Amino acid sequence: MSDKKAKASQPILTRRDLLKIGGATAGAVVLTELVMKGPLSAEAIQGIGSESHPHEGSADQEWHMAIDLNKCIGCYYCVRACQAVNNVADPEMRWNVVFPETTSEGVEFFMNRPCQHCADAPCVRVCPVGATWIRPDGLVAMDYDRCIGCRYCQVACPYDVRRFNWDEPTMENIFQPDWGTPQVDTRPRGVVEKCTFCVERIDRGIELGLKPGVDKGVTPACVEICPVGARVFGDIKDTESPIYIFLRQNDTFRLREDWGTNPHVHYVAPRKEEA
Amino acid sequence: MAATASAPRQHKIFTTPFILWVASLTAVFIVGLVGMITVLTQGLEVTGLTDQVPWGLWITLDLSAIALGAGAFSFSAAVYLFRIKSLEPMARPAVFIGFLGYTSAMLALAMDIGRPDRFYHPLIYWNVHSVLWEITWCVILYSTVLVLEVLPLVFDSHYFDRWPKLRQLGHTIHKATPVFAVLGMALSLLHQSSLGATYGVLSGRAIWYKPSLPIMFIISAVAGGMAMTLVATLVTGQIRHMKLLPRRTIEIVLRIIGVILLGYLYIKMWDWAATTYYSVSPGTADALSRLRATTPYTTTFWGLEILLGGLFPAIIIFVPQLRKNIWVLIFALTMIPMGVVVNRWNVTLSGLVVPPDWSPGIYGNTIAARYLPTTIEVMVAAGIFAYAWLGYTLGVRFLPIFGKPLPKERLITD
Repeated sequence: MSDKKAKASQPILTRRDLLKIGGATAGAVVLTELVMKGPLSAEAIQGIGSESHPHEGSADQEWHMAIDLNKCIGCYYCVRACQAVNNVADPEMRWNVVFPETTSEGVEFFMNRPCQHCADAPCVRVCPVGATWIRPDGLVAMDYDRCIGCRYCQVACPYDVRRFNWDEPTMENIFQPDWGTPQVDTRPRGVVEKCTFCVERIDRGIELGLKPGVDKGVTPACVEICPVGARVFGDIKDTESPIYIFLRQNDTFRLREDWGTNPHVHYVAPRKEEA
Repeated sequence: MAATASAPRQHKIFTTPFILWVASLTAVFIVGLVGMITVLTQGLEVTGLTDQVPWGLWITLDLSAIALGAGAFSFSAAVYLFRIKSLEPMARPAVFIGFLGYTSAMLALAMDIGRPDRFYHPLIYWNVHSVLWEITWCVILYSTVLVLEVLPLVFDSHYFDRWPKLRQLGHTIHKATPVFAVLGMALSLLHQSSLGATYGVLSGRAIWYKPSLPIMFIISAVAGGMAMTLVATLVTGQIRHMKLLPRRTIEIVLRIIGVILLGYLYIKMWDWAATTYYSVSPGTADALSRLRATTPYTTTFWGLEILLGGLFPAIIIFVPQLRKNIWVLIFALTMIPMGVVVNRWNVTLSGLVVPPDWSPGIYGNTIAARYLPTTIEVMVAAGIFAYAWLGYTLGVRFLPIFGKPLPKERLITD
């Protein structure tokens, strides 16, 4: 048989070719599925880092906070209570920030900024070790034992909520015990920390069958101490919770929704006071 | 490849300038060590970094060292994969410089992370959604590849005459060089660009948030890494009055660098034109105006990065009359790594000193953060710099990095 004949009698596709193409297609499909839908998909950040804390938080609740910028009088009670309860002595490391602000129309108000607990948190996405993650109840949590202190989360967070322990926390806390007793340990040098929505209070409340956002002692310290009720907190999945009712009754906005971070903190915009 | 001759002995090894140079580098390195010990004992409090500018001088050093080490994968791929024979003399110095670059970067990173004792965490706790996780893996794996590429070189030096078994091992490892070249290229194509993506993926920082950053990072790294390798070799040759590279090799490398530089400038031009000239995005425009008001960003970007670091060397490279003078050529080539370093500084700091405007009031778009490295930071950076140059100086003196020197003659005067 000559070469020419052999070539002519060869099928366009051999069995081997078919197997190769079939294998490659199957591989591509599996990979695409994984990247589009599976644990590798961009939407899968909900699962980051949660494997180490499987029993924290439940998908039955989703915690949100609302801050009425019309009501805030700038007393800084929330700042002090937060520093006392969360053991933050250094004023530069405040988790909850309040400062005087002015709108472009000239209305003066006090801006309040706790952690926004974003549903699509940039900090969670970038952490190389999964030391910060989104709990099933929507809280953005931190694992101080896992954090390597690379500070990429600080670079990624556009709201400037993250604080790094540049030094050992040795400063005396002037707000303890007058503004609250510490409920969590101080964090070691070299790790990042941030507002937790007082997660230890929330978890204890759920354990005791209480309602965080309503009951004393299981609501975030800043919400509880506010003398004018500027902060509202609760489970948005509970239609009787104060946050659910508040968000239904008020026009609210969230900080820079165009960033796609989907924050869990809602604001009522400051209005001009009627004379 | 056969074993190359051991270090040249026809020259006096320890000349006075050589001793002075090594002594001063050692002195700077010791100063750096003091800085490092201070950082490890007292924490990052001793730096000028803040919660608003958490990355600074060391991250710039880190990014630059990795970028300027890119000559290793570029030349390895060119020689062992694409079989460009005339580039062969570049492979060894490139790999050695790459090794020094990556070890410098890891040294800087070890200083920069808050918990160096947990450096291994990315290996056991995975977040596949983080570019930094991917970078960590790639850098660790690629550094291993570089060590394996450098080892045969070390065993080939005449100090290992007494241990033929080790030299044999070196030759065995060296047989896998094409595999290392493939691995090195794959890993480098990933992490060199991911380092740009580190900034490019952050939607909240307008000045960074663009898909061009990863591409620009890898292209500038290849140009900078190749230029670094070539200029180091040329300077070494000048100092030793030796011709270390054939004329043809220099010509080809120059052409490659020149073409990449022009390509980079082209992409950079469109990156600038599309985001700030032909369009106005509120976030970018606002960030740029705040940058211009508070920093010499305009000068460093246009003057150092584009003109001195890009256009100027490209012109020298492509005009034969200009590149004829070896010292003009060396100066022009040095400007390329300089441009890369300034670029990494500009990229890192530009996004940080202009914090995102999240407040609903007017306060947010007025603030600019400040950053100035402290003495300790400069000491550590200088120490790492000295480590790299000390490594290079001793390496080219005692290891067979340049193989057999070519007949003694002036370099580019043929």
